[in-house]
Amino acid sequence: METQIAPAITAADVPSLEVSDIQATVLRPRPSPYKGEYLIVRIEDAAQGREMLRRLIPHVAPADNWWTPTLPGWLAIAFSFQGLKALDLPQRSLDSFPNEFREGMAARASILNDVGNNAPANWEYPFGTADMHVALAIYSKDDESLEMVLERARHSHRDLPKITVVYRMKFSELPDGRNPFGFRDGLHNPQVEGSGAPVHPGSGSAIKAGEFILGYRDEEGEIAAAPEPEVLRRNGTFIAFRKFHTNVAAFRRYLREQASSPQEEELIAAKMVGRWRSGAPLVLAPERDEPKLGADATRNNDFSYENDMQGLKCPFSAHIRRVNPRDALKNDLVAVNSHLFLRRGTNYGSPLPEGSFEDDGVERGGVFLLIGVHLKRQFEFVQSQWVTDGNFIGHGTEQDPILGNQSSEATFTIPKRPIRRRLHGLPQFISVRGGEYFFMPGLRALNWLASLDHKPARTQK
Amino acid sequence: MNATATQPTTETRTNDTKTPPAGMQDLGLRLGQAREFTMILPLKPGGAQNMRNRLKDYATSAVHLLDKVASVHDLRFVIFDNDTRLIFASTYDGGFEQYIKDFATIIPDYIDKEFQDCEGYPGVKSPEIWDYIARYQQEAIVFYSAYPDASVRQVWKGQRVLHAFDQLLDQAQS
Repeated sequence: METQIAPAITAADVPSLEVSDIQATVLRPRPSPYKGEYLIVRIEDAAQGREMLRRLIPHVAPADNWWTPTLPGWLAIAFSFQGLKALDLPQRSLDSFPNEFREGMAARASILNDVGNNAPANWEYPFGTADMHVALAIYSKDDESLEMVLERARHSHRDLPKITVVYRMKFSELPDGRNPFGFRDGLHNPQVEGSGAPVHPGSGSAIKAGEFILGYRDEEGEIAAAPEPEVLRRNGTFIAFRKFHTNVAAFRRYLREQASSPQEEELIAAKMVGRWRSGAPLVLAPERDEPKLGADATRNNDFSYENDMQGLKCPFSAHIRRVNPRDALKNDLVAVNSHLFLRRGTNYGSPLPEGSFEDDGVERGGVFLLIGVHLKRQFEFVQSQWVTDGNFIGHGTEQDPILGNQSSEATFTIPKRPIRRRLHGLPQFISVRGGEYFFMPGLRALNWLASLDHKPARTQK
Repeated sequence: MNATATQPTTETRTNDTKTPPAGMQDLGLRLGQAREFTMILPLKPGGAQNMRNRLKDYATSAVHLLDKVASVHDLRFVIFDNDTRLIFASTYDGGFEQYIKDFATIIPDYIDKEFQDCEGYPGVKSPEIWDYIARYQQEAIVFYSAYPDASVRQVWKGQRVLHAFDQLLDQAQS
């Protein structure tokens, strides 16, 4: 049984991650408050692409410099499969990437339930096209710092006519760290073994680094052998980037229709999310919001579902219980640790004014930036099995009340004694604007990519 | 484990072969959310008798695990062709494929116990497992289900509700 690897973690085999070689975005939380911008770049000439890369690399922040960055803002860089092709990565290496990454997110629409309104045909340009090559993400504390880093990014390709910025998107934190629906979010991330990241109570036991960073052992006891070569994959990872619009007015209207009092509206909203607006989890505050609890980082994520296996506090179908079941599925044959990812998402747009029940036409929403080595059993699994289906919790085809791609028969089930309550006719509260899979290499790998043209075996384009 | 005689070397693989190849989730016919899955596998010499002995108590010893899987409607092992071949046939819920790796992680020994008498079986944790399944899977030409839209969990729930309802009626009459 030589393929068996003991799952037990002992102090002796905790890896010390090469944090100086891992991009900052992988390990460190976003600043608060944050400002920033995503840029998508298209490369029409591999040599110019590599020249741009050479100029950008000094500004790409490693994970260990997160709190003392060399720039007032910092830069992350990642490549789609089309982008790696545009950089003339050797075919053998291209072929070694996982299927889902090579196909791209749009091609995975049927698996991800990106159908109807969320279908790639309805996505913003350049999402779903072959024009998305390089993604740059700039995180900063303020507009001034953002502008400084943007200037460096612009400078990297100013005299390179075959490099085009095809998409720009600003993002920023909403007041009090709320998402557009009005809930504090971003309160949970798994703890990466050996990362040295501060541990927040409730983040669970340390997860093997190989779930999130290539080159280390994962929860199945394995070290990923692709993509090739080793210098390219070491300390790299994959990203599911997904932009969505939030229909906040529809959310407020639906709550008002279903409830007979403002208190009940808030309860239904909390049941859908699994937390109150303050961030206080239902499991710890089942009756009413407790803003002090929500604001206390040492307590607002410190819970399990051990004493709520009936879902009477937090419904099985609540958003946070679906996407991060913690111990809720402990009686099922589910390797929960194989379905985690790091979340570095952001919000965009201004909040819908308080008390407004009509859509004002403003683009607002969020970006999921989900980081993990195994897109298929992490993002794709969670999206297909836990977000857009309900069989795993005995709810048939019921979807996530917040993220679901709802049909006209949509339901949301709230366990209750003596009989459960079921809401009907949930509108779709989010619309996918687009998404793509990216590979985020380590810093040595970036240098390797930038120097590909020194290799004699380069293929002519 | 001594069934590895003719395995290709892992160096030839160009991809993460531990994940199903594209199209894996389309193996077998589907009806509603139900899927049929059939494999016809060669048995090792003497494997048939080993298998009979090994799986004698299996239905009772593995039932708690299959209940936990909660997405397999039925399964059967049929030895035929003078003890040289095995039919494995099952009906399961859509989405089940997505969990196979979880089962391989949590209960590899149980799955290996089921198939270790088959010729060339690489082990459920082997990178070769998906190629092995694809090689021996046979799609049905007819697939009927009496309740194609009901998952295992929904059937169980329906039974519980019916039982409770019957009790209520009985009590109301007594």
